[in-house]
Amino acid sequence: MAKFNETQLTEFKRLVARYPEGKQKSALLPVLHLAQDSFGGWLSSDTMDYVAGLLLIAPIEVYEVATFYSMYNLKPVGKYMFEVCQTGPCMLRGSDDIVAYIGTTLGIKPGETTADGLFTLKTVECLGACGYAPMMQLGKQYREHLTKEKVDAIIEECRKNAVANN
Amino acid sequence: MGVKLLLEKAHVQGIRSYEVYRREGGYRGAEKAIKTMSTDDIVEEVKKSGLRGRGGAGFPAGMKWSFVAKPEGVPRHLVCNADESEPGTFKDRYLMENIPHLLIEGLIISSFALGSNATYIYIRGEYAWIVDILEQAIGEARANGFLGKNILGSGFDCEIYVQRGAGAYICGEETALIESLEGKRGNPRIKPPFPAIQGVWMRPTVVNNVETLASVVPIINMGGDEYAKIGVGKSTGTKLISACGNISKPGVYEIDMTISVEEFIYSDEYCGGIANGKRLKACIPGGSSVPVLPANLLLKTAKGETRYMNYESLSDGGFVTGTMMGSGGFIVLDEDQCIVKNTYTFARFYRHESCGQCSPCREGTGWMEKLLLRLEKGQGKISDIDLLWDIQRKIEGNTICPLGDAAAWPVAAAIRHFRDEFEWHVTHPEEAQKRNFGLAHYADPIHVPAV
Repeated sequence: MAKFNETQLTEFKRLVARYPEGKQKSALLPVLHLAQDSFGGWLSSDTMDYVAGLLLIAPIEVYEVATFYSMYNLKPVGKYMFEVCQTGPCMLRGSDDIVAYIGTTLGIKPGETTADGLFTLKTVECLGACGYAPMMQLGKQYREHLTKEKVDAIIEECRKNAVANN
Repeated sequence: MGVKLLLEKAHVQGIRSYEVYRREGGYRGAEKAIKTMSTDDIVEEVKKSGLRGRGGAGFPAGMKWSFVAKPEGVPRHLVCNADESEPGTFKDRYLMENIPHLLIEGLIISSFALGSNATYIYIRGEYAWIVDILEQAIGEARANGFLGKNILGSGFDCEIYVQRGAGAYICGEETALIESLEGKRGNPRIKPPFPAIQGVWMRPTVVNNVETLASVVPIINMGGDEYAKIGVGKSTGTKLISACGNISKPGVYEIDMTISVEEFIYSDEYCGGIANGKRLKACIPGGSSVPVLPANLLLKTAKGETRYMNYESLSDGGFVTGTMMGSGGFIVLDEDQCIVKNTYTFARFYRHESCGQCSPCREGTGWMEKLLLRLEKGQGKISDIDLLWDIQRKIEGNTICPLGDAAAWPVAAAIRHFRDEFEWHVTHPEEAQKRNFGLAHYADPIHVPAV
């Protein structure tokens, strides 16, 4: 089973130290982010059990949180996840077309991952970028004012990065 | 140009750094507060300023502060609500990205006033890169003696920590935020007890929005009385408005709440008019939860008076012919937009974000989404519109937290003002798939169908 390495453990300790003595459970959300980033972009039940052990809480306390928040992935996702906002303000600026275009270009529907494991398309609700619509989240960054041309460029960029990182 | 108190320096080159922020007069407020004022003085200035919570509810900030319990030996906490998730709202992000030290300075003053030695910024999980910006600013403030032990020789200790959420609109509600900060699901708590008495870890807690806490800096610098002179009536100071939708210049604007809605939409200083020369159809001026208004009722009240961009004027007419200032998420719809579809996306949003604790909200938001989708697809019946009305009535006021109301209001307002557009989707199902209803008679003088 995967465990945090030295650097990740240091970050874990930094996160836990921010809360009062005995309130280490408060670090659960940030620690789950750390775990997801460290172990392939998703949270397996083994990972959740490991986090429960580290925080000295019951596994169920981790499961109930991991299933509540939309940013935790409970199954494997592609290396690059396109999370396209589709709420009102983005819809008014054409997000439906962007979702459809990405779907056609990659040959997947929202919620699906490409066969090569590179891309996942996900529709999400308002990400707080309404003035820069349409937009999507890609990793830690927002990609805004999307057009079909920009989408093409982003896909190309991801493909290049994937090759470079292999 | 109106008065700018928050964003005046936001575009100075390098303002994200401590050096530049300091050179531009930053941290003078913190020095003044910690060196020359008592904690009661600070609370008094905030009360005098008339500052109202900028997150959406508009509750007087000074009054909220004065409720905080001070039992002997129990630590108190200030929590900054940076969960900004109300569709249409992106002002806090703008402030944190551009001038993070303004928020940190506001947090230092407010923590001092409230006696919070450990202050938390709860930021929505998606704003991951802003966490880095804030932590950088906190580190700089600490290195310069504004955080840490014995700040400016006052004997006051304070640390600020940034906690990322993980994708949940409900965590913008203060008790859900507190639950989340404790590492739990974001299920709102029943009030009372209010957070001021029992908040995070059952300790007295004040939760304030980013913009509210940043506004404490100009209030301390200029004094509460001077701050209160800006604006009008109970809408004092300045307000950040995040404008989006079909306008020429989407973005974040700081206004002094004396300008009219018409000026805000059409002036080049602000939204620059409707994009592509289209006509204005409707607007949701305070984030997706507040009632949508057709153009005529937006620009003028039902009495025919000019409507202004402030708390009182926007709510003139109540929910029958008015709306709310809310969070300042200003969403504009042009003549080509479909009210049914727009309302559907919000209903889907609220169904997705309902925490599931209260049956009226958990079940009702799902029903509303399904009915609206059916109507939008031209598969609805006239009775579906009445059913929608009935469901939203049964959600409103019957839930622990305001998410239920927030889900009900947009549906109610859409039916109230645009019922004939809903009916048209039923009577013209095929046409409704090819084109939108357009303006029809909404540009006519006051049109408020009785429901």
